[in-house]
Amino acid sequence: MSRGGNLTAVVEDRALSVTEAMTSAKRALETVSAHVIGEVSEFNDKPGYKAAYFTVADDGAAMPCMMWRDAYVASGVDLRCGALVEMHGAFSAYVPKGRMQFMVKRIALAGEGVLRIQVAQLAKKLEAEGLMRPERKRALPTFPIRIAVVTSPRGKAVHDVIRTLRRRFPLAELLVAGIIVEGKSAVTDIVRGLEVAAKASPDVILLVRGGGSYEDLMPFNSEEVARAIVASSVPVVTGIGHEPDTSIADMVSDLRVSTPTAAAEASAPATAELEQRLDKLSRLLGRALQHRLQDAAHRVRHLAQRPVFTDSNVLVGQAAQAIDMASVALRRAIPERLHRDGEQLEYVRKMLSTVGPRVLERAGDKVAISAARLGDLSPLAILDRGYAVCYESDGRTVVRSVEQVKAGDRVRVRVSDGRVESVVDSTEKETK
Amino acid sequence: MSGNELPLPGEMAFGEALKELEGIVAALEGGQLELEESLSRYERGVALLQALQGKLSDAQQKVTSLLGELEPEGDEE
Repeated sequence: MSRGGNLTAVVEDRALSVTEAMTSAKRALETVSAHVIGEVSEFNDKPGYKAAYFTVADDGAAMPCMMWRDAYVASGVDLRCGALVEMHGAFSAYVPKGRMQFMVKRIALAGEGVLRIQVAQLAKKLEAEGLMRPERKRALPTFPIRIAVVTSPRGKAVHDVIRTLRRRFPLAELLVAGIIVEGKSAVTDIVRGLEVAAKASPDVILLVRGGGSYEDLMPFNSEEVARAIVASSVPVVTGIGHEPDTSIADMVSDLRVSTPTAAAEASAPATAELEQRLDKLSRLLGRALQHRLQDAAHRVRHLAQRPVFTDSNVLVGQAAQAIDMASVALRRAIPERLHRDGEQLEYVRKMLSTVGPRVLERAGDKVAISAARLGDLSPLAILDRGYAVCYESDGRTVVRSVEQVKAGDRVRVRVSDGRVESVVDSTEKETK
Repeated sequence: MSGNELPLPGEMAFGEALKELEGIVAALEGGQLELEESLSRYERGVALLQALQGKLSDAQQKVTSLLGELEPEGDEE
């Protein structure tokens, strides 16, 4: 050791035991208090331990730390690797192992570390409410005609969206809700932007921004923005470029993609796809009409084969039945008519019965006289008086001349009570 | 169905026209329409189809500002 040193051991110039040396070092270290910030690189918190042991490091150094369990639990900090912590404490040494350590009296999360923890806690809370469940997420419209984009009106993101949609689906009207995406007013601005966008009744809302630091993206990790997305009447697509981090907005949105360009692509079909769809509709339209016409033709053919057209009785049968019905009605109607006519007939009959006999009596007299005369004229009556009639052999032709017969001919002679069949002996013509 | 009651396909929003066209195809496929109705729906469908295809090929992007002023691209850099 050099001269002028002021350590006790050097002054006393005697050899110290290791314990003495370490104890001396420990005392010296405990005079050095410090306020330190660093990232937790190792963490060891076994339930049985009296203290939490961890290492805090930066690029140039590592510092073993310990914190009594009671104090650690009281701090409310949930340490994990990667967390940025701010600590107050003093150096010390663990004499039995000769190990230097920082005794932490107070600890708190710092910077991004704090943010990440807060975000993780909010995520856990919203997840517990079911806001991240896949079944809560709405399907995007297939053919959006109005697309709203909520983002900064300046910068790359909004133009990425405009350019992508111009190329992919120029038919969609693009509504831009320009807002502030960073800083203190960003949260209220984003919420307002979402509300204004939804009020314009677009088919889909794109909530996008370009990449930035984790802190820059904090408005997208706010509970207010998350709840505004959930409450939106229009499906929301998020494209918040900060891979690999996922913001709370991403977690609760209906669709999450990594960039503004991807959000634009996801929100609208390519025109080519739409043209294909129209082609398909065109085919379906034609086919549907064709089917309808075929169906109509089939029905007409089917009808043509129905009995009404193939069996005349089916059609006429109904008329025939109508006729039958009419005839029944007629039959019922006719006696009535007759009854009426009957009265007239009865009158006529009475007339006849009174007038008729008188007419008939006179007629009867006339008939009796005529019959008597008829008797006089009858040839039979003449035969009664002794005359005879001679017929030729045929029995019909009356012989009025000798020239009608010759000797040997048979003749029939009719007398009043019968016939005399005779043969001509001879004929003699008298000269007048 | 009288043509007077229906908006002209060319004057309809794309989404409406597409929806109507899809409705017509569905109705025709359903086969419940009168033949005359089928024919008039078909004609309407063809008109819608032509209007839609025309819109797609003629589409010009329209950008409307709801909030804030949109700055031309490249200004910020």
